[in-house]
Amino acid sequence: MRSSPNIIEIKSLNKIYKKGDIQIPAIRELDCSIGKGSFTSVIGKSGSGKSTLLNLIGGLDKADSGRILFNGKDMSSFNRKEMALHRRTSVGMIFQSFNLIHHRTALGNVMLALAFGGVNSGKRKKRAMELLSDVGLGNRMDHKPTELSGGEAQRAGIARALANRPVLLLADEPTGNLDSQTAEEIMALLTGLNKQGLSIIMVTHDQESATTVSDRVIRLKDGQIIEDKKVQI
Amino acid sequence: MKVGDLIKLGFENLWQTKLRSILTILGVVIGIGALSSMISFGSGIQKNITDAFESNDLFTSMYITPTKISLSDIENPSVENVRNLLDRPKQPLNDSILNLLRELDHVAIAYPEIIIPVHLRKDGMETEARIQVLPSAVQQFKPYNDLLAGRFYQHDSVRGMVVSWNYLNELGLVVDDGSGKISLSKQDSVEGKRIVGPEEVLGMEIEIVSASLDVSGVMSNPMQLMGDTKQAFKEKVIPLPVIGILKKPGPFSPGSYKGGCLLPPQTAESIPRLNFSSVWDLLGKGKQEGKYSSIYVRVDDIREVEKIRKKVEDMGLNVFSISDQISEIKRGFLIMDSILGALGTVALLIAALGIINTMIMSIIERRREIGIMKSIGGSEANIRMIFFVEAGAIGLIGAIFGLILGWIFTKIANFVMNRFILGDDQPVVDLFYFPMWLIVGAIIFSLLISLLAGLYPAARAARTDPIKALRHD
Repeated sequence: MRSSPNIIEIKSLNKIYKKGDIQIPAIRELDCSIGKGSFTSVIGKSGSGKSTLLNLIGGLDKADSGRILFNGKDMSSFNRKEMALHRRTSVGMIFQSFNLIHHRTALGNVMLALAFGGVNSGKRKKRAMELLSDVGLGNRMDHKPTELSGGEAQRAGIARALANRPVLLLADEPTGNLDSQTAEEIMALLTGLNKQGLSIIMVTHDQESATTVSDRVIRLKDGQIIEDKKVQI
Repeated sequence: MKVGDLIKLGFENLWQTKLRSILTILGVVIGIGALSSMISFGSGIQKNITDAFESNDLFTSMYITPTKISLSDIENPSVENVRNLLDRPKQPLNDSILNLLRELDHVAIAYPEIIIPVHLRKDGMETEARIQVLPSAVQQFKPYNDLLAGRFYQHDSVRGMVVSWNYLNELGLVVDDGSGKISLSKQDSVEGKRIVGPEEVLGMEIEIVSASLDVSGVMSNPMQLMGDTKQAFKEKVIPLPVIGILKKPGPFSPGSYKGGCLLPPQTAESIPRLNFSSVWDLLGKGKQEGKYSSIYVRVDDIREVEKIRKKVEDMGLNVFSISDQISEIKRGFLIMDSILGALGTVALLIAALGIINTMIMSIIERRREIGIMKSIGGSEANIRMIFFVEAGAIGLIGAIFGLILGWIFTKIANFVMNRFILGDDQPVVDLFYFPMWLIVGAIIFSLLISLLAGLYPAARAARTDPIKALRHD
């Protein structure tokens, strides 16, 4: 059997948030596929369902109906343990607010992800230091998030996301809290990772940067794809 | 995630909230301190009593009686009980039975119990006393092989007595036992008591004042028995030198060893005695010639006690031994330990509520952190274990410091109780005892309670929705 060229295949995906009797559909009958090694940007207004889609692909949430096939495996059949394994080994996530553990150093944050990945303590520190050096934080690894600039914190977040060698990086507004110059540096870093073969799905408000760095832009509105275009870089 | 990493993470997390963790641990420290000191008090009392029994070889001793008696008979000397005892079938104890008992394997010694109520007198001071007639052969056994001064009589016709510290005290002679705790109270001085060295007492003559029924006097005037009974008895005074002094008994020594005036059988023959030697004779038909009220048997190996007892019972005799009653005694100790333990457990349960509170607070505060851990691959089991380890760490640290606190507290309490309650003249006793089972048990119990307290918070942390948690400020 020939393996699929897609890392993600989404079929008739639905996600509804419920608040009391009120139902808010976040994703509606969404179909799409994401190719391996691609850099896909998902854009749209607030409430369009971008982050929900990312959370569903990242295994932080479960769809109400429809299927997400990750490397051919149906995520709807994953139990909670398999979902955690998916988050640990298949995907890496970076966030707008970095989501670093505040009382741990940059090194400590990366090492924690490696500890969840079962890397033994001897190798853990070495690998974490390599990862932080790769993202340009070689001289700041013993600093806590509060002692890092926004760009440095996001680099630490990227290093942590890459800790367990994921095949897909999910970035939720990674430059949303950064100034334009730092945002460019982070985008350059992500582009570099993509060039090394890492698939990336990025949610952003910033249409300009989306079209600059990614090879495909999907626009969402009310939980549905209203535009899907390939970008020539 | 590896177990070592989970433990490290748990301890690191506790360290992040030092003050709150310390306060929570303090609750457990107080709980375990209270629990361990209370149980150690129960254990201490138990150990003191057991040791006192052992030091007098009571566990290898048995008493052969004509009537079956038990500890409850002794504890409840009601009229009804005594009547029941008298109604029980009796097996007369005589020399042939004594000889049969002596021939049994592992019987180290067997002799009839002869007790003569007398008065002891010295320089105008007098005290009621019980003479115990013991063969010289008992000198190899506790407590007769370890005297305060002098030596036990070497044969059965030695003219001399071995007397207890207590009787000498009642005769005004406070023997310095070398403990450094002997002193005279005001009352002692008023009573004319004086401190004497043990060597000074050895060789000192003490008068044994005994009485015999003046049969001719009573026959000529039977009314003597109704009025002033003194006229019916003839007083006989036998002075005997002290050749040995029994050690001062501890506060937990069995009653019969607290006082004692021991005489060899042949020397005791010269003391006139009434036609009874124990309350059983008095209540029954009176002691008959050649028959004994009870026979004392000492076994040379504690493991043989049960077998000997069975053999003696097969001879149709009634046996009373402390070892028979040991289950009753143990039950008593168990009840005492349970009450003391329950009081300590209440303190620990309050501490457990503190743990639950701390853990829940911690979960609320660290909600975002839990979400982050889940987003980077932490499984529910990982999160649950991290919080479990934190709860366990509180229990473990609390148990260790609680035991130290309990130990310090018991040392202070022991000092206070020895100094102010038991009194200066008593030998120092350890009222509290920390056996290994208590130390290990307290740690396990504390861990168990802490883990139980952590059960709900850990489950709650594991169930945390990562998306909501990541949005949490």
